[in-house]
Amino acid sequence: MSTMLASFLTLAAILFCIGLYGVLTKRSAVIVLLSIELMLNAVNLNLVAFSKYGVVPSLKGQVFSLFNIAIAAAEAAVGVAILIALYRNRGTANVDEYDDLRR
Amino acid sequence: METVFSQYAWAIPTIPLLAFLVLTALGRQIKGAASLLGLLSSLAALVLSVLVLTERWSPDAEVYSHSIDWVNLGEVTLRVGYELTNLNVLMLIVVTIVSTLVNLYAKGYMEGDDRQHVFFAYIALFTSSMLGLVVSPNLLQLYMFWELVGACSFLLIGFWYDRPAARAAAKKAFIVTRIGDVGLLIAILLLFWQMPDHSLDFSVIQTVFQSGDSLAQHGITAGIATWIASLIFIGAMGKSGQFPLHTWLPDAMEGPTPISALIHAATMVAAGVYLVARTFSIFHVSPTAMAIVAGIGGFTAIFAATIGLAQRDIKRILAYSTVSQLGYMMMALGLGAVTAGVFHLFTHAFFKALLFLGAGSVIHAVHTQDIFQMGGLGRKMKVTTWTFAIGAMALSGIPPFSGFWSKDAILAAAWEQDHKLLFVIGVLAAFFTAFYMARLFFVAFTGKPADDQIYQQAHESPSSMTIPLVVLAVLALIAGFVYTPFNGQFGIWLTGEPAEDHANVLVMIISVAAGVCGVLLGYVLYRPGQSQRVDKLEQAAAPLFRVLERKYYIDELYNWLIVRPLRVIGKGLDIIDRYVVDGLVRFISAFVDGWGRTSTRVQNGQLQTYGIVSLFGFVALVLLMLALGRGFW
Amino acid sequence: MVGQISSIPWLSLLTFSPLLGVLILLLIPKERVFAIRTIGIVTTFISLIIAVVIYAGYDASKQGNTLLEKFDWISIPLNLDVAKGIQSWTLDIPYHLALDGLSLPLVVMTTIVAAMSALASVSIRKRQKTYFILLLLLEVGMLGVFMARDLFLFFAFFEWTLVPTFFLIGIWGLANRERAANHFLLYNGLGSALMFVAFAILVATAGFDQITDTSGAVKFVYSGDLYTIVNHLQSSGAAANLGHSPFFLSEGWRMGTFVLLLIAFGIKLPLFPFHTWMLKVHAEAPTPVVMLHSGVLLKMGAYGLIQFGMVLLPQQLADWATVLAVLGIINILYGAILAFVQTEFRLVLAYSSISHMGFVLFGIAAMNEIGLQGAVMQMVSHGFISALFFLLVGSLSERTGTTRLDELGGLAKRIPFISALLLIAGLASLGLPGLSGFPAELFSLLGLYGNLPWAATIGAFGVILSAVYVLRGVLAITFGPIAAHHQQLKDARLVEAVPAIVLTACIVLIGLFPSLVTAPVEYGVSHIIDMFKVGG
Repeated sequence: MSTMLASFLTLAAILFCIGLYGVLTKRSAVIVLLSIELMLNAVNLNLVAFSKYGVVPSLKGQVFSLFNIAIAAAEAAVGVAILIALYRNRGTANVDEYDDLRR
Repeated sequence: METVFSQYAWAIPTIPLLAFLVLTALGRQIKGAASLLGLLSSLAALVLSVLVLTERWSPDAEVYSHSIDWVNLGEVTLRVGYELTNLNVLMLIVVTIVSTLVNLYAKGYMEGDDRQHVFFAYIALFTSSMLGLVVSPNLLQLYMFWELVGACSFLLIGFWYDRPAARAAAKKAFIVTRIGDVGLLIAILLLFWQMPDHSLDFSVIQTVFQSGDSLAQHGITAGIATWIASLIFIGAMGKSGQFPLHTWLPDAMEGPTPISALIHAATMVAAGVYLVARTFSIFHVSPTAMAIVAGIGGFTAIFAATIGLAQRDIKRILAYSTVSQLGYMMMALGLGAVTAGVFHLFTHAFFKALLFLGAGSVIHAVHTQDIFQMGGLGRKMKVTTWTFAIGAMALSGIPPFSGFWSKDAILAAAWEQDHKLLFVIGVLAAFFTAFYMARLFFVAFTGKPADDQIYQQAHESPSSMTIPLVVLAVLALIAGFVYTPFNGQFGIWLTGEPAEDHANVLVMIISVAAGVCGVLLGYVLYRPGQSQRVDKLEQAAAPLFRVLERKYYIDELYNWLIVRPLRVIGKGLDIIDRYVVDGLVRFISAFVDGWGRTSTRVQNGQLQTYGIVSLFGFVALVLLMLALGRGFW
Repeated sequence: MVGQISSIPWLSLLTFSPLLGVLILLLIPKERVFAIRTIGIVTTFISLIIAVVIYAGYDASKQGNTLLEKFDWISIPLNLDVAKGIQSWTLDIPYHLALDGLSLPLVVMTTIVAAMSALASVSIRKRQKTYFILLLLLEVGMLGVFMARDLFLFFAFFEWTLVPTFFLIGIWGLANRERAANHFLLYNGLGSALMFVAFAILVATAGFDQITDTSGAVKFVYSGDLYTIVNHLQSSGAAANLGHSPFFLSEGWRMGTFVLLLIAFGIKLPLFPFHTWMLKVHAEAPTPVVMLHSGVLLKMGAYGLIQFGMVLLPQQLADWATVLAVLGIINILYGAILAFVQTEFRLVLAYSSISHMGFVLFGIAAMNEIGLQGAVMQMVSHGFISALFFLLVGSLSERTGTTRLDELGGLAKRIPFISALLLIAGLASLGLPGLSGFPAELFSLLGLYGNLPWAATIGAFGVILSAVYVLRGVLAITFGPIAAHHQQLKDARLVEAVPAIVLTACIVLIGLFPSLVTAPVEYGVSHIIDMFKVGG
């Protein structure tokens, strides 16, 4: 059983790292958003895995992951909307050129 | 003995203080009455002093003392109050008489000055402080009033504040006397920690320093006693213009002349002599200190007298004469002749005040202080001339004027003690004194007028000025009879010791001879009928005369040795302060600035950079926790 | 420490009374300048009245007559060793104010100077609303510093004062105001950092206390309460014996802590060589702020050194008495010599403050009651004198546009009132008997002579130098010939004259009756002195 958990967790960790890498390095804002989805899904995978193979298995984890999916959908919608607005405003989807935090 | 008035002696300094307060508050309104208020307050103090004196005729009158707590400091209580001994009652009389007469005189002298209420207020404050000094029962209170009289002197020297010379003189007077005051202050610190119960009372000092035994009993070594005495004497030197702290006194003549008479001739400058006499028991146990006092006094006496020979300014001649006479008094104290020293203080107060007021009367009339611009004033200013002549003769030590008796007493003391050197110095100083007074008198009052224009405007002063002159002339004439070789009661009364047998005919003859020779020499060189424009002495010995005229270049010396180095050090430290010490502040502010600039560069606004930094931070934390081997929670 | 808790919270009332004015000021539109000024001034007078009432009610004859206010304020749970079965382990910051004899004269002095400074603030010409709010906030901080008996609370008030002062200098100062404000904040911040380190060491080692409440539960508390720390430091190692304290404050640590405190308070004092920040403040800040700064804020350093350095680490202070005396000598002579060569009168006064603070160090180094009385006396006296000086300097520069000595002269002719008071301030500053400077310097020197005679003797020469630089400065302004373009000057207006007269009156009163200060202080410092006696 623990080997099953371990492989799920390893997969989730790999997914999370890929997502994190994408968030931190990709220049295109669309790819960054995609990478965030990847990280969220890694988390979902963890939740589901624990709900099945954890110390105290229960359905709560799966419920949470459903919540997460819904929220991720909403987040993606809002994120893309902001991205489009930004693109119209700035004429670029390049993250490097979004440095408003500095101003 | 009944002590009715003695218990009101606190009022003696208080009355002039009240006058000061009223004059300060209402001065501008009462303008004309200011002089009257000043005069009345001094007069009241005089009357009360005389009443107190009547209760103290007997030589063994008890010391009357009363003190209240001033401040409590743990186990120590500092007290203030008043004390009456025969010595300080004598001082009370001197101070109040001179103060009263000067107030009267100043009414005429300051007529028309629109700040005369300030002037009389200052005089009242000075009188009050001086009287407070005199009645002080302990050294600390004396020190406080000591500083206050110094401040009053400073204010009055700088009374005509818009003159740069007055400003410089006032500043100099304060600072030079301050140097002496620090000596006194350190003496007080030393005494405070040496005396039983930290007592600074004169009566306790007298008991403790009575003999070697009582000193040993309180653990005070001879060395410490010498230190205390010497430090006190430094204070006295500053106030009484003893070499090398004498330079301020001649410059102090920038003040109005009544002030020169009151403060810089009769009272405040004598405070140093009074201080030594009051704490004489400390000096008495230390032969070294006595030698220092006698030596400095003697040197000052002859040193200042020679400078007096070459001055042209009437007030400066008198000022150097004051320095010289104060040296005489110190010399007497150093020889152990307290009575003679205080007696000279007593007579000197009258005849020197007389001379200054006479000089003031002259200046008032001719508006110049250079004696070689005067000449022939005797014909126009009869009262001034005659009284001035009496003062000059008293100062020159011509019998039967008062100066003769007191100077003779000092010379006799030197003779008795076989102090050959000091005796010779004393006689020489007496000779010089007589000579420069003769020079002053003959040049200014006799002969042909040097300047017709000045001579034309000369006139006798108003009666408010001449009355004090006459009174002081009478006092200068008779004050000496208090203590003659034929009448030694004064000595018993003053110091409780039997009169020294100073009826030494040989000394008397030498003393008179010195005085008469001086006067004769002066007559020969400056007698009437010669051209008054040229100084005979200058012709005779020009280089020496130049040195004397420039006061042995002492001022220049101080300027080069003290003032300039201090300024150079100050400028140097200023540069260090600006560039080295302040560098620390600048470094810190530059450091913070630089740090800020560096960290702004890190804040590039790129969210991804921030994310990477957080990631590495998180990883580092995790590794740290693992390395420490502790759990995550 | 015996104290009494009054039914009326006098101390909080006093400390926070200026906040009332702040609240009202917030509601007034900023155009109504007159109302703003009036409220600002009246508020400071309310504080003054409260302080005077407390002073009048202070019975100096009763030892330990200390007003006290203490209640729990912040309690931070520390999750230390819960596993070992200890129920509660917290870091407490109590709200603890007390007014003993040492603080009382300083508090009264603060309220007087603050009120006079508020009166002088009439000369402020822009943004009066913000100005008065900041001024009142500053007063809160100053009062709090003198009354806080908790290390954290003291630190908080100490820091509190920096903020309003920073803005007061930076907005209303002269030409180089921003630079001065910047230096002020940075340098004092550095001092505070050192102070915080020292306080943290003290709290962590000696601030530990074990309290058993009524239900029998044992509470372990770290707190910055001054008296707890004093007790633990005195009964050296008592905390360690409890078995729970992780540290024991060894001699080496104590010495290190003492040095940190000395530097931290020395920066404020200011101590050579940490003094240059304060020159800029004196030269650039607006008059009323310099009055408060020179008059009160600098005293916080000296006060801290006595109330914390001396009380907490008496043995270390005794070991370092010689060092303190030498620092005092340096301050006195260095300040005096530099004051002598300055051509800007404000800088003369700034350096003279450095010189005068040397006497405070003397009084502390004396380690006896006379010396300590002298130190407190000098703090109070210098507070009044420098406030008066800067008030007059403000009036002068308002009239002539300059305070450079070479551009002034002879002003006694046109403005006799200001000149006379300038002279009185000068005479007080150089220690003339009858004015407050004299007893202060006398007691300091008397005290130090009992401990270190050579130091007192050298320091006494500062008395000569002070006469030199004060007279040079004051006479250059008031005496001598007057410049033609100064012929038209007008003497002081009523609003300038009143604070000047009040301050002068304080100087004269204390000079004539030093027991006004020494009587309360006597019971404030006697326990400090006892520590030295016990310690040998």
